[in-house]
Amino acid sequence: MSGATAAPGVPANAVAGGSAYDAIVVGAGHNGLTAAAYLARAGLRVAVVEARGVVGGAAVTEELGGVRVPALAHTVGRLKPSVVRELELAKHGLSLVAPEVRVFAPQPDGRAVTLFAELNRTWDALRAYSADEATSYVEFDSRVRSLAGFLADLADEAPPDVRAPGFGDALLGLRLGRAFRGLGKDDGRTILRVLAMAVADFTGEWFSAEPIRAVTAWRGVRYTAMGPWSAGSTAVLLADAAGNDGGGSGETVYARGGPSAVAEAIAAAARAAGAEIRLNARVTEVTTRDGAVTGVALASGEELRAPAVVSGVDPKRLLTTLVDPVVVGPSMRWRAGNIRTPGSVAKVNLVLDGLPSFPAAGDDPRLLRGRILVGASSIDDMERSFDPSKYGLLPSSPVLEATIPSLVDPSLVAGAKDGTHVMSVIAQWMPARLPADAWAERREQVGDLVVRTLETVAPKLGKRVRARQVLTPSDLEAEYGLTGGHPLHAEPALDSFFLWRPLLGWARYRMPVDGLYLAGSGAHPGGGVTGLPGRNAAREVLADAKRRRR
Amino acid sequence: MPQRYDAVIIGGGHNGLISAAYLARAGLRTLVLERRHVLGGAAVTEEIVPGFRFSVASYVVSLLRPEIIRDLELPKHGLDILPLDGTFTPLREGEGPKGGDYLWRVNDHGRTIRELRRWSKSDAEAYEEYGQLMVEMARFIKPILGIVPGDPTENDPRPMLPLASLARRFGQLPERQQAVFVQLMTMSAKDFLDQWFETDPLKATMSASGIIGTYQGIRSPGTAYVLLHHYMGEIDGAFRAWGIPKGGTGGVSYAIARAAQAQGAQIRTEAPVARIKVSGDRATGVVLASGEEIEAGVVLSSADAKVTFLDLLEAGTLDPTFEQEVRRFKFRGSSGKVNLAVDRLPDFSCLPGFGEHLRGAISFSPTTREMEQAYDDAKYGHFSSRPYIDMIIPTLVDPQMAPPGKHVISCFVQYAPYKLAPELGTWDDQREAFGDAVINRIAEFAPNIRDIIVGRQVLTPLDIERTIGLTEGNIFQGELSLEQLFFNRPVPGYARFRTPIRNLYLSGSSTHPGGGLMGANGRLAALEVLKARGGRRAA
Repeated sequence: MSGATAAPGVPANAVAGGSAYDAIVVGAGHNGLTAAAYLARAGLRVAVVEARGVVGGAAVTEELGGVRVPALAHTVGRLKPSVVRELELAKHGLSLVAPEVRVFAPQPDGRAVTLFAELNRTWDALRAYSADEATSYVEFDSRVRSLAGFLADLADEAPPDVRAPGFGDALLGLRLGRAFRGLGKDDGRTILRVLAMAVADFTGEWFSAEPIRAVTAWRGVRYTAMGPWSAGSTAVLLADAAGNDGGGSGETVYARGGPSAVAEAIAAAARAAGAEIRLNARVTEVTTRDGAVTGVALASGEELRAPAVVSGVDPKRLLTTLVDPVVVGPSMRWRAGNIRTPGSVAKVNLVLDGLPSFPAAGDDPRLLRGRILVGASSIDDMERSFDPSKYGLLPSSPVLEATIPSLVDPSLVAGAKDGTHVMSVIAQWMPARLPADAWAERREQVGDLVVRTLETVAPKLGKRVRARQVLTPSDLEAEYGLTGGHPLHAEPALDSFFLWRPLLGWARYRMPVDGLYLAGSGAHPGGGVTGLPGRNAAREVLADAKRRRR
Repeated sequence: MPQRYDAVIIGGGHNGLISAAYLARAGLRTLVLERRHVLGGAAVTEEIVPGFRFSVASYVVSLLRPEIIRDLELPKHGLDILPLDGTFTPLREGEGPKGGDYLWRVNDHGRTIRELRRWSKSDAEAYEEYGQLMVEMARFIKPILGIVPGDPTENDPRPMLPLASLARRFGQLPERQQAVFVQLMTMSAKDFLDQWFETDPLKATMSASGIIGTYQGIRSPGTAYVLLHHYMGEIDGAFRAWGIPKGGTGGVSYAIARAAQAQGAQIRTEAPVARIKVSGDRATGVVLASGEEIEAGVVLSSADAKVTFLDLLEAGTLDPTFEQEVRRFKFRGSSGKVNLAVDRLPDFSCLPGFGEHLRGAISFSPTTREMEQAYDDAKYGHFSSRPYIDMIIPTLVDPQMAPPGKHVISCFVQYAPYKLAPELGTWDDQREAFGDAVINRIAEFAPNIRDIIVGRQVLTPLDIERTIGLTEGNIFQGELSLEQLFFNRPVPGYARFRTPIRNLYLSGSSTHPGGGLMGANGRLAALEVLKARGGRRAA
């Protein structure tokens, strides 16, 4: 590999007869940056181009009412420990905080389902429902861990090549088979049975107390357009527990400084390895010649050249808007156009002038340091909350996942009046199918609905709101470039899983144009702040670069 | 002295009878025991209203395996299938391009395309492409109906070889077909169809075949697969399309029964089995409710998994882990049946008169939204206020089912959940209300329906459980959801028709490849029995 010859900032097309870069990464979300960091560390000349003025994509900290709030994603517990280690993110400024409470779910009857990082404490807490349920939870947690271990093995690697000869035997015999046999007979049979199951059925096999069933089912539907009775939601739940300490409760981990801190640390690692990051640089086209990529064209008119373009942008947007349709071809365009992106969450961020009181937490504000689930009181209630979204309607009582990150990370409210807190709320089943102008009208309606719903468990919370930000699915699309407003780039349903995420035959990070790669959440193993699509994609880019050099 | 047979088969439904025919044909002394006075199980014809004969439960065939028809020479034994032509979807006033329109697809491809073009040019084009693709998909997947599912957790790879060969053939498909196949296995019927079509009544009607008999909506992932079944029937060339057996679906059962008898099998009706006799780890025979004991070399149960394992075996016979897996197997009956005796034909507002459109299936599926809302009702334990109905008027092709000039109407109704919401009480309280909801639904499109009924039979899931013996009224002997198919059906590790009890086999729809008037289960189970015997003889 030759060293970087072009001085930073010199347009690539100014370099005669070659490329200024070995790879251009489109989008400085955490996955794009992760890919860039791995590529740069391997010696490639890398440029990252980002349309917005900040790095982080959907995992960013933004200013609201004089303090800082997690704009979209609010926890980062799924970030793969090996990525943190390999990119030395701690050295680059990443500091993670994990409270002892993972989930606090106040119930209409005044009780709460509380899940702790420590299993013993969860067991103690759940005995308030019944000793049987508490014991079931321990078994559930352990089963989720072992099943998720198999998904973690899958998540670490590029899916196998369906076009390779002998693919069928490979699938049954080799690497996958080993991971599968590692499960043992009981877990092996179980995983084949449960992956396609509805999370309502899965949790129903352990729990009979509806609140516990609903709280444990939540991660199977979060960010999706599925209800708890939708087949395949169990796979989403298990994927959430893959490769981390999630277990039955799911991880609750904050980055000090908000989610941006993750992207900034990865960006620092990438820069330290020589990558160049350009902000406010919107890509309008991935340029090609003879069916192979030659670089990207920016909105400014500038063109950057590289033999490899790595997209952190979602696959539908990439293949239907950024590449010449003739190069993509009609059949692939049809397939890409049918990637399902039914965004169905809104985000509401609140600045509060004091910590709201949750009667179910008693006087213990420590319980509020985890994820606060509102509306997870029974499977049927959750499903009822989901139903209207199928017809493009808002729920009458949404399910909410809220966090108060300023409780664990006061730096977010540094400089603000004492007692100020920020609250970050994911509001589920807000259908993207509403047209953009309808959303403009309903934006404040959604904000009111969320505050009203919060008040069912934290009375008078509304009186504490000093500033409020409502991001609808149409905002997620317009501002953050998420097609359909889908925070996971493509619905994580059974039809977009492993070998066929985002498309069957194109799950190995290579897109159907030579030199084009997918490194974002639309690729295996999917969405969430994990860094895995970025890392796996970089591995494939490097393998191809090596092959080309030979 | 108890009587002794080589094989005793519990249940005289189509699968039980098919097993019997295959076993008798191989020379086994075979006895079939049927609880009721009629043969057929869910494929049964009965005279409910004097002079009117109904296919009480199952009412159409297309899936019956051609190799079974051939092997058992069923036409010689009286099987006669009358083709049903087309699907007619009536709409209400103001709906469709003409307002108060209809969508009518027939077997004549050209006519169907012209009809679709009336609705949408691009849909008419997509329909041709879609049809071809589905036929290719069905051709690819069809061999799975003849595969005995292996256990992927076993170290012995041999039982998985047929699957590996399927995977290899998959590798040879063009990429787009591979992708579509994966979509069929994973998507909802609605999402899948959305990729091709824009005409809502077309999508609603096509998606209906994805939900029949399941407790799922057209938007539930996993329902696209069932769309394929339609095409599987068509490509086999036995009937080419859906048809109704002459004399009702009981006609199929009796043809199979005659074939079995011709091979020497004995069949007893009104002989309910109380218990399967087990000695040590093996089944040795059955005890009838009358107390009579019958010894057998093997026992095949075509009853469903719950009845077989939890009702017919003495408590404590099974390993508790296995028993727990059986209890996990989901039934969740979700449909009902309303059979009507009428003195005139229904008259649809959108196409008045009694023409050809009444001779096929009449699908009450005007919008995808109503289809999904019908499921929303059911999810919370209510029968649908505006249900999806698949209506057939068999007397238009088989007039002998009713007195001259009169008709029988068969209405398959979705959804009717087995477990009702507490506020509704029991199905015995709600039976007539459910029947009324069905009549009201029909009246939205054919207002004369109320005036022409001379008799009606309402079968709730509870009735189906009581009379036919199907647990929770599930017509497929267990929900056809993704996690209950292939090597998971009915219990992971026991998908190969064998059970933890030696010499006890399952042969009903609780096994691979699931329900429907298909017969593959009964045949494959019989072949497994013969294979095991062959092995023993060789040993």
